[in-house]
Amino acid sequence: MKIAKPDTKEKTLLLGFPSNGLVGTFSISYLIHYLKMKKVGEIEIPDLPSTLFVEGGEILAPIRVYNKNNIFVIISDIPFDQYLAEEFAHAAHTFCKKNAIKKIVIVSGMESINQSKTPPKIYGLVTHPILESVLYNNKIPKFLDGSIFGSDAAIISVFRKTKIPALVLYAECHPFFPDPKASVIAIVTIAKILDVKVDTHDIQNKIDKLRIQHRNLMEETIRTLQQEQKKHGKIPQIYR
Amino acid sequence: MEKFHKSTGENMKNDNDFEFRITPPIISSLFDDIEHRILSPLSCLREFDRHFMLEFDLPLVSKKDIKVTFDGNTINVEAKLQEKYSEEKLGKISKFEYFKKSISLPGQIDSKKTTARFQNGRLEIKIPKKVAGQSIKVN
Repeated sequence: MKIAKPDTKEKTLLLGFPSNGLVGTFSISYLIHYLKMKKVGEIEIPDLPSTLFVEGGEILAPIRVYNKNNIFVIISDIPFDQYLAEEFAHAAHTFCKKNAIKKIVIVSGMESINQSKTPPKIYGLVTHPILESVLYNNKIPKFLDGSIFGSDAAIISVFRKTKIPALVLYAECHPFFPDPKASVIAIVTIAKILDVKVDTHDIQNKIDKLRIQHRNLMEETIRTLQQEQKKHGKIPQIYR
Repeated sequence: MEKFHKSTGENMKNDNDFEFRITPPIISSLFDDIEHRILSPLSCLREFDRHFMLEFDLPLVSKKDIKVTFDGNTINVEAKLQEKYSEEKLGKISKFEYFKKSISLPGQIDSKKTTARFQNGRLEIKIPKKVAGQSIKVN
């Protein structure tokens, strides 16, 4: 059976935000850096607490848009609760429609039971069957059973109802500690999907320091995710 | 309104180097002791039926430099970093040499049967619960 190679020239949007192991944060930030992507805009979400960053004298919003060739990125530096995640997904969807984006790749982490014994694995989940071929062509095992909750579930639920297909990459990670090691496998997988070359040595050399640097963001992400669990009662964790 | 700080490792001085934006915490329970060069590590406690599993994230640490002690129901972890870690906040560079944290455990524990292992910069301490009480005959 001949399987059609996906069109790597069609516009793709990558989404990254703080979640388990900060996998999305690390992997998407690294791709922005490595591919030398340019900031092309910012996304405002009305209910987001007022936050601004200053970098080299430039004021930056916490949710920004980057671009290079046919690759677009939306990255958030702050974690979302379920309601902000829905708003974020709607904003991303509006952006996709305006820019003729054909597919979305979301990067996140899933709790791994024996994460210290074996190298982390990555699983894929698609909202529309048209992206099944991307999983097959890139040898990404399908996320078969489990439950998804919180911000991830809110974002996936929004894209399921739209016409733009989304592929969610779940890298096995430590759920409560920053896990740049798990993000390396996500970077390699995204590079394959996008058909771009990415050298991960730079991030691999800084794994330990990144873990120290991101303690506060990890703590804040856990607090946001746990507040969601408390509101809705205890929900089984992903892949448990 | 302070909304920005920037952290950097010692070998991250080149502008072309990969560096993440560090998000400042809104509320943090991690209190680094700048004066004594001590970092507060991330930790998590999970409760199981017969034991607690306490984990500490200790990157840049070697197993031989970790000290774990008990003080009643409190477990103390200290570790020396293999190299100094530098962090820049609002233009001031702070250097850190140690991790240190104390965690109070809920419930009675059996400190004598406690075991620990260190792998990939993560310290896992398995602390059995103390079994107490009397059995009740079921008729």
